[in-house]
Amino acid sequence: MAERTANDAVINGAAAAPPTTGGTLLHLAGISKAFGGLSAVDGIDLDIQQGQIYSIIGPNGAGKTTAFNLITGVYKPDTGSMIFDGRSIAGLSPDRVLRRGIARTFQNIRLFNNMTVLENVLVGQHIRFPSDLFSIMLHLPNYRHAERTAIAWALELLGFFGPEMVARQNEYAANLSYAERRRVEIARALASNPKLLLLDEPTAGMNDAETADAITYIQQLRRDFHLTILLIEHKLQVTMGISDRIAVLDYGRKIAEGVPAEIQNNPQVIEAYLGRKAEV
Amino acid sequence: MLIQYRRSVDEIRQTLSTTNIAGRPLSWYLGGWRLGIFFLALALIFPWTLSDQTLVVDAISIGIYVLLALGLNIVVGYAGLLDLGYVAFFVIGAYTVAVGTSGFLQNSKGQTFTIPTASFWVLLPIAALAAGLFGVLLGAPTLRLRGDYLAIVTLGFGQIVPSIFAYVPYFFSNIGMSALPPPDVGPITFSDPLNNLPFYYLTLALVVLVILAVAALRDSSLGRAWVAIREDETAAAASGINLVRTKLLAFGLGAVTGGIGGALNAAYLKTIAPSDFNFDISITILIMIVLGGIGSIPGVILGAIVLRFIDVYLIGNVSNAVQTNPFTAHLLGGIDLNQSKYLIYGIILVLMILLRPQGLIPNTRRSRELAGIGASVEGASAVGLLAREESESVETAADDQGSTSEASSFAGAGSDAQGREG
Repeated sequence: MAERTANDAVINGAAAAPPTTGGTLLHLAGISKAFGGLSAVDGIDLDIQQGQIYSIIGPNGAGKTTAFNLITGVYKPDTGSMIFDGRSIAGLSPDRVLRRGIARTFQNIRLFNNMTVLENVLVGQHIRFPSDLFSIMLHLPNYRHAERTAIAWALELLGFFGPEMVARQNEYAANLSYAERRRVEIARALASNPKLLLLDEPTAGMNDAETADAITYIQQLRRDFHLTILLIEHKLQVTMGISDRIAVLDYGRKIAEGVPAEIQNNPQVIEAYLGRKAEV
Repeated sequence: MLIQYRRSVDEIRQTLSTTNIAGRPLSWYLGGWRLGIFFLALALIFPWTLSDQTLVVDAISIGIYVLLALGLNIVVGYAGLLDLGYVAFFVIGAYTVAVGTSGFLQNSKGQTFTIPTASFWVLLPIAALAAGLFGVLLGAPTLRLRGDYLAIVTLGFGQIVPSIFAYVPYFFSNIGMSALPPPDVGPITFSDPLNNLPFYYLTLALVVLVILAVAALRDSSLGRAWVAIREDETAAAASGINLVRTKLLAFGLGAVTGGIGGALNAAYLKTIAPSDFNFDISITILIMIVLGGIGSIPGVILGAIVLRFIDVYLIGNVSNAVQTNPFTAHLLGGIDLNQSKYLIYGIILVLMILLRPQGLIPNTRRSRELAGIGASVEGASAVGLLAREESESVETAADDQGSTSEASSFAGAGSDAQGREG
């Protein structure tokens, strides 16, 4: 923990606030998912505390993204239980999972390319709009109020990523740079005010400067939005630097878990993950 | 040629913004609702400028098609669901009014019996709701389908629903129903064959109502949800959009509009038969949308007007001219151009797709999609729906392979890299 805080300070150039920890937010027990006899995720247990930045690492094909898809309801688990904030989320559809307070980004950025930056972030707030047709079609006061609030919140979120993002609010998402697209995707995920944010390789395809920038804002996100963050990441610079805890997956199984220092020195991890990576 | 065309478009834009009328640039008058009000005023005075009322009759039929095109545009244009069986809702709306106003049904032995009747004005919302209900019911089994599979199933529904009315005895089978009571209200009579103005203004009122409703939907959170689903279902669901509900709302609201069109059509023609409702209608409405501009309200209206104009005037006049000229009459022999309507529609469609796939008055977002901007596949198919959705289903299939779940994200990373360069 001390090491993480030290890293924070180095990266931010300021003393980082200690994470607000308090109880388990997400608990996975014995989660398995097989696709046609091939098990992608095999009996994973995870215990993520409120306020943590928790990383899942592992070689390609280890089941990290499948784990994300299971948590967010893209796939339904074959076995096991998933408790989020005291209630089971197993078998819920993705939109219901979001309503419970879990938002995500995708490894291959999935923005609505022919929508503007602002519209993308507004879609992220879909659940805040009235759902009855009369309010929507007649733009009744409750709808208009929701729209005004949503736009204000969207601009605030974009402002978090810098004034240049606010300036680009009416730009089509397709016209943005790669790093900007990542930011808009995170802003869209944050728009629903989630308790838990799932980031799938938030620095994939980024250069060192962009990566350092991403590390900074991920930490700021947790602080400013009181988030718990679950992260899939390949870059050790990122995982070792900002994670409170790390779980290592290999062949769909969790082979190790602990604070970054423990993971770095775990021989099993070195063999399965770092070792194999070195061969490649 | 294309560059020249672009240049002339730019010149027109230039003229629009520099030419001043009464202290405002011309483009100000052409913006959004101002132009709409202008056309509404034009439509209101239009019948009074005519010496001959046949144009009013044509205008009513155009109006009914505009209603249908606006409704189908919700499903195809907004939600991106290719529906080839839209005629089903037209039928349901028409039969609701026919049965309800006449009060006649037939039992299985062919004996007529009566049920309580209601006025057209009561039945119009009921027809809309009935069609909407069937929109949701028929939409539900298609939710898991994409692209061409969806098109095929909806095509099937479009065949089944009119067939039910043709083969089930209760609705007088193939004979249909005629001499339906007109929707008279006090002194306003809708039954005078020489005065079509009441129907004209009723149609106009419904068209205006539907335009306002559709525009409000487009500019709402629901409209955004439809775009989001069209662009990326997975991301839309992850953003809290309930895919089932949002798609069914598109089917339902599209069907409501179709039901209104059908109800109006039945009241206007005062007669309906199952043979009036065939696949041709579904396709004609779809062509109107593609011609005018998928997803664009003014485009869809223009598409309906242009296609009706071609159907009613152009083909008839050209056919007459061809038949009266001895040379062309000999050349074409016994070919009647009136019978070749769909050949001509086909040619128009092919030309449009080749020269201006985004339609006459394009929707900005749709043109971008057609141009392949931000799309995961290069190039766009004819309607712009099939190719995109196919590619998505391929992606999903790859995801479902499980062993390749990580590999597919790998592929995703690859396509991202391409996207970054592009």
